[in-house]
Amino acid sequence: MDDVLSSEVVVIGGGAIGAATAYYLCKEGAEVMIVEAEDLAAGASGACDGFLSLQTKQLGSHLEMAMESIKLFPEIAKDLEAEIEYNPCGGLMLATTQEQMKELRARAKKLKASGLEVEVLSAADLKNYMPEMGKNVKGASYCPQDAQVNPIKLTLGLAQKAQEMGATILKGVKVENIVVTNNRVREVNTSEGSIHSRRVVCAAGTGSNQIGKMIIVDIPVMPQRGQILVTAAREPVLKTIVYGAEYLGTKASIDELMPKEEEALKLGLGFTAEQTASGNILLGSTREFAGFDNQTTPEAINAIAKNAINYMPWIKDADVIRSFAGLRPYSPDGLPIMGTVKGVRGFYIATGHSGDGICLAPITGKLISELVLDGETSLDISPFSLYRFK
Amino acid sequence: MKGKPAFTPEVIEEAWERAKEAPVALIDCREEIPCNPCEDACAKGAITVGPNICAPPMFDPGKCNGCGKCALLCPGMAIILLDRSGGVGAVRVSVPYEMRETLTAGEEAWAVDNEGKALGRGKIIKVSGKDEVGGTRLVTLEVPQDWALKVKGVSGRKLLIEVPEEVEEAPRQQDFLLCRCEEVRVSSVREAVGLRFRSLGALRRYSRVGLGICQGRFCQSMLRDKLVGESMMEHAAAGIFKVRPPVRPVSLSRLGGENG
Repeated sequence: MDDVLSSEVVVIGGGAIGAATAYYLCKEGAEVMIVEAEDLAAGASGACDGFLSLQTKQLGSHLEMAMESIKLFPEIAKDLEAEIEYNPCGGLMLATTQEQMKELRARAKKLKASGLEVEVLSAADLKNYMPEMGKNVKGASYCPQDAQVNPIKLTLGLAQKAQEMGATILKGVKVENIVVTNNRVREVNTSEGSIHSRRVVCAAGTGSNQIGKMIIVDIPVMPQRGQILVTAAREPVLKTIVYGAEYLGTKASIDELMPKEEEALKLGLGFTAEQTASGNILLGSTREFAGFDNQTTPEAINAIAKNAINYMPWIKDADVIRSFAGLRPYSPDGLPIMGTVKGVRGFYIATGHSGDGICLAPITGKLISELVLDGETSLDISPFSLYRFK
Repeated sequence: MKGKPAFTPEVIEEAWERAKEAPVALIDCREEIPCNPCEDACAKGAITVGPNICAPPMFDPGKCNGCGKCALLCPGMAIILLDRSGGVGAVRVSVPYEMRETLTAGEEAWAVDNEGKALGRGKIIKVSGKDEVGGTRLVTLEVPQDWALKVKGVSGRKLLIEVPEEVEEAPRQQDFLLCRCEEVRVSSVREAVGLRFRSLGALRRYSRVGLGICQGRFCQSMLRDKLVGESMMEHAAAGIFKVRPPVRPVSLSRLGGENG
């Protein structure tokens, strides 16, 4: 970059959130530059499962946002040249104790009141969904609006489409400083030179804390590790995405749904299973704090395998061919951090989506695009303000 | 355990003895590749690969009836048949053959060793299987006892020392399978390269290369050479595929077991 670059908007981060933001900004005709330190989907967006889960969202704005987001997926799937493997397959949340069942029933009532389709199923009903359930599975809540997508293809597809609409994507370019004068963003200094821009979106996921420091703002995002096992590809056996109630317990800190064993609690273990378009089954997952270490661990692999057999005994003979771990941008309350920053005009935050980044990417991109270009959003995002933590 | 690893001297000895009575298979497979058609081919249960698909086969010559199905199905052409029932002096060796040239019973052909070097001439006794391009045939040669065990194949070409012959170059395969596990062709990789990735890790996400059973250990050197060769990327930028446990397929029940 010999010449000084400039762009109407700079989006920091080439993950699902950054790509979606660039996509919606380009749709409105904005001039956009994505600055990505490594490569597209190199962080959490490239190391996660493809759950588009509605029934696990916190009641209120979080759920409302997710429901709006899920409506955008069919449009996006149609609009992108790339196949994103969007599949409105529905989702099953399995309960293994009566206590969990009771909690799921109560939750289903509240979710329904918020307009989500949820059905409580007995153990006998589950026969229609899977070859065999674990003996201790007592029932489930089923949400037909839950879906799945290929998160990598989604991210790449959105970025590619944005590029076609005129966006510039800089890869391997690290943001080193953000110049603010007269309370306004002016310039982004990178490892490859400076970019003049009066609007900067921080969609840097786990790197957001570092970016915040550049404008002396504490964005409380830290990496939370999730480990996932991958089985060999096989014929379609899973009709829906599947999770255990403990997954919701560890995700939303619901006491009644927390794992009982100490080891599982330590790992933040919660069962998830999905079969991807390629036929592999992804089995998860954990919620651990291990800094930026994205290795998989024997303890977690062992625990995930044991847990999976517990819920779906028929899977015991499946071959695991590899494992991976992703670092989710965790915020203190598990909710996204979105909005403007006091005293720094032109700086917008779109991060901290924790484990919901893929599901919330379209709506986040759309709302942040509105915020950047119009100064207001079609959905109230004040509950996601940075200042809720203070 | 059923049988012993097929290429151990003990098993070869046992097969050699058994070949006195009737045809028997001789399996020269020691590469730990994910492959097990031989196991399914054997109706007698003489060959076992077992749950670890990368393991070399176990073989029990005592159970083998010399049907030759395994030799026809082995993708690596690593199995031959041995038959010494005809008496002292001449041993019959049956080897798989997939080349274009037609071999005819009654004529002679060159027997070759593991590296394709000519061992000597042998009389073609029988050619079974369909004689078509790409099809596998089983060619039975009669060869002297002293080098019978070295025979791994047969050459249908007239060898150059006999009559020099213009060798017609086969059309080059443009779109070969680069990643066998995920069945990714080199054209898909080129397409992904169009997106200007920065590392092998990114290419993996773009094209699924190296996301399969071997996690890229088999294809990555070829991939790197190909990409560097075509100036698609700098060697230094290529990096290596991260390999995460398990490094071989392991069943969930084993992973979840108490012994981990």
